[in-house]
Amino acid sequence: MDRETLRRLELLNQLKLTEEQKEEITAFFDCREKDLAVLNAIDTSQTERQVHVMPIMTVVREDIASQPFTVEELQKGAPDTDQGYWCVPRVVE
Amino acid sequence: MNFYTAKADTAAERRVAVDDMILTKTMPTAAGSRMLDGYMSLFDAEVITRLENAGYAIAGKTDVGEFAIDLVGETSYHGAGTENGTLLSASAEAIKSGDVPAVVCFDVNGSVCRAAAQNGLVSVKPTYGTVSRYGTIPAACSGETVSVMADSTAKCREILDVLAGHDDKDGTSLSEEQCALVKTAAAKPAAKVAVLTNFCEAVDDAVSAKLDAAKAALTAQGVEICEIADEKIAAARAAWNILMCSELCNNVSRYDGVKYGYRTQNFTNIDELYTNSRTEAFGELLKTAILFGSDNLSTENYMKVYDKALRIRRVVCEAFEELFKAYDAVLLPACSRLAYTEAETKADKYLAFEENQYTAPASITGLPAVTAGSVQLIGSMFSENMLFETAKLLAKEGE
Amino acid sequence: MNYETVIGLEVHVELATKSKIFCSCNAKYGAGPNEHVCPACCGMPGMLPVVNKRVVDYGMKAGMMLNCHINRTTTFDKKSYYYPDLPCAYQTTQWFAPVAVNGTVEIETSKGKKNIRIKQIHMEEDAGKLVHDIAEDTTHVDFNRTSVPLIEIVSQPDLSSAEEVEAYLERLKMLLRYAKVAECAMEHGTMRCDVNLSVRPEGSDQLGVRTEMKNMNSIEAIKHAIEYETARHIDAIENGTEVLVQETRRWDDIKGKSFAMRNKETAGDYRYFPDPNLMPVVIDDAWYDSIQASLPELPEEKYARYTEQLGLSEYDAAQLVKSIALCECFEAAHAVCGSAKDAANWMISEIMSILNQRKMTYDMLNINGTSLGELIKLVMDGTVGRANGKKILNAMFEDASIVPAEYAEKNGYIMSNDTGLIEQVVKAAIEAEPKAVADYKGGKEKAIMSIFGRCMKELKGNCDPQTLRTILIDTINKM
Repeated sequence: MDRETLRRLELLNQLKLTEEQKEEITAFFDCREKDLAVLNAIDTSQTERQVHVMPIMTVVREDIASQPFTVEELQKGAPDTDQGYWCVPRVVE
Repeated sequence: MNFYTAKADTAAERRVAVDDMILTKTMPTAAGSRMLDGYMSLFDAEVITRLENAGYAIAGKTDVGEFAIDLVGETSYHGAGTENGTLLSASAEAIKSGDVPAVVCFDVNGSVCRAAAQNGLVSVKPTYGTVSRYGTIPAACSGETVSVMADSTAKCREILDVLAGHDDKDGTSLSEEQCALVKTAAAKPAAKVAVLTNFCEAVDDAVSAKLDAAKAALTAQGVEICEIADEKIAAARAAWNILMCSELCNNVSRYDGVKYGYRTQNFTNIDELYTNSRTEAFGELLKTAILFGSDNLSTENYMKVYDKALRIRRVVCEAFEELFKAYDAVLLPACSRLAYTEAETKADKYLAFEENQYTAPASITGLPAVTAGSVQLIGSMFSENMLFETAKLLAKEGE
Repeated sequence: MNYETVIGLEVHVELATKSKIFCSCNAKYGAGPNEHVCPACCGMPGMLPVVNKRVVDYGMKAGMMLNCHINRTTTFDKKSYYYPDLPCAYQTTQWFAPVAVNGTVEIETSKGKKNIRIKQIHMEEDAGKLVHDIAEDTTHVDFNRTSVPLIEIVSQPDLSSAEEVEAYLERLKMLLRYAKVAECAMEHGTMRCDVNLSVRPEGSDQLGVRTEMKNMNSIEAIKHAIEYETARHIDAIENGTEVLVQETRRWDDIKGKSFAMRNKETAGDYRYFPDPNLMPVVIDDAWYDSIQASLPELPEEKYARYTEQLGLSEYDAAQLVKSIALCECFEAAHAVCGSAKDAANWMISEIMSILNQRKMTYDMLNINGTSLGELIKLVMDGTVGRANGKKILNAMFEDASIVPAEYAEKNGYIMSNDTGLIEQVVKAAIEAEPKAVADYKGGKEKAIMSIFGRCMKELKGNCDPQTLRTILIDTINKM
């Protein structure tokens, strides 16, 4: 795990690490290489990936609209709102 | 730490606590994270509704580690619960203190199983899809399961009977008929149990003794015990860590200081708002998991790492299927030792991602697991009744 | 050197469902800020996504309309990036197994017909809306559009001019409107377009540097943008005015220029992975067949049927097939009145002109075709005069529940066959207009029109004009 990759990961995930954390995380990533070796020792070339553990079933709902909560309820715990909107610092487009 | 709002008029045996991964309308839900400090859900989890409809009172909430990925709750922003340096599980303490006979917990990374084993309690992580996840804080959705910890197998079964059932609001909820399979019914204990020996090597003497006692108890009651090693099932940990962290990374990306929850005081633009809110509110283990999970999904790594882990999931499922052709249940430890100290988690911050080697097999496959007598039994899908009957044999020995 | 432009389009179309794709919030326009929002679509934890069946129906239907192969097992995936209009910081879309792949759309331009290949159609959720003009230092966030269902139609880079792009978009709109899966109104933002463009020397088989212009929402703007970008690329290649880089650009329609976007969204890695909360959707034969059976007749098929079987003129047929709403109204009216010619005539000379006067699009037609058929029948069999028929039609535009026969009765629009009454009215009119009578008798044939008009007015239009004319002339001649 090089520092450049780590910096990109921080940016991508909106996190800022301390120097100490960076060192620890780098060590953790190095362990992954060992883990990957364990996984790669098992041949999966003939194995399909498995996303869900249950048998495949189609789950759909009918197209019926409902509105159980008001804006006031949804924004009760909001840090900053105005006239029914959530507010963020101006986003320059 | 526990939050109690117990209804005084409810009989002790009808009281249950739920852990802080389960959303409640009348009590805050923080998932052990400063990010959600004081967060009030607008709705109750399906399991809360089911408990209340069945006449149970939600006596309070038990604290969890941040998004329930740690050992037994030590990463909660409230701080680790300890006694003489030993880490305590809030859910286990709630039961041991006699406040409640059972706690409904959300098992993401084996914490329920570990806490039950370390405290001599019983837990069940039922077949994935038999208990609705509606109203749970999403962490690692492909394996996380509403579970029960209790002071007896009977209590575990009683509560599971209430929780299990189909829910239209959860797209991974199984049919009513399938869910009914895990409810209490007459069943025989396992006739043949496979002990996974390669999981028994790195455990300490106390756990070894528990395993020996369990084997002895089962043998004494006529259960055939076979010792086998399975390298494929042992790959579950590495694969589960990849899947869990990636799903977690994605699930906690919604916490950004905009809609609700923690917001930094320190920002001048949107990126600072996001980054500082998340950096200030999230703990270290979670940050590691996020970055690790993110990296596994990168364009460069997806096939090499994430897709590989998804294939290993099938390999592990198939390995269990193969075992269940010859055995009724699999016996393995729940943890490497019967207590963790705060000191060792400080020395090895990622111990949770090592200790979960015992719980990852059930997490990654969605198979039911019952912990009793400080050991873990895993069975095939919907085999909860058989597992409970087998667990009762272990308990008898302990009494 | 001559250059050719290579264009591929990603067209986002909002599906016309009642509720959102993964939660039950209302998907319609026209609510106050965040009124069509629930915990799921504002990023709160705990609710789980469940797919709206109609979205899959419509995704499949769109795929079939565009001659695609339908993936019988289709899956949903998560795409991650931070932007304030995306409350969970991920969008649920289809990356690994989209609902439809490998289609074609035939377009026609001044250069003739051409097939545009469709790479895929995938279902996904829309993002929210950011409002920048309420306060200077703040962006306001509205999640009403969050999770409204979209399909994204991705073409192969088969388009080579603004004209082709326009023809392609018009064709998509027509097909999707015929299938009734979407409104496709660029002015409402229910159809939006990303344009991928590169330029290369004519005949070259290598692609040039590609730029992408996002969220274009008018055909005029798209045409300008394509012309501008093509010129910019050629200028860069020929004169080295700038170094072309693969990037996302924003089109500024007022300045008539494109600008490189400094958007974070474009910088990241989307980290797609399958959504563990959404099971694969398996489309069985019964489901597939029911959608297949619901496909509409295509515009060309209707045109052929109208001209060949119903005997309409080519002009009339071409007018009607412009909109599925016109076709349906026409077909229902025809079924009731029995005359295709009369029904088409009413549609084109009355209904389409009323729509134009009212500045309504053809798709906004709200006249019940069966009622129209009844009205036409009343006029055809002489129960109601044509002029009064038009009045009734105008009333029907205001109130779709009007039953023409009842309305005619109530408002006194029933034709009179009472010749006695007509003669009486004629007699009175002749007495009232002696000058016109004299002029007529003096050879000014047109003079009779004022007397005729007076009679018609007196009879409230409820008289066959030919009968009135005959009685009027007879009476004057007898004087």
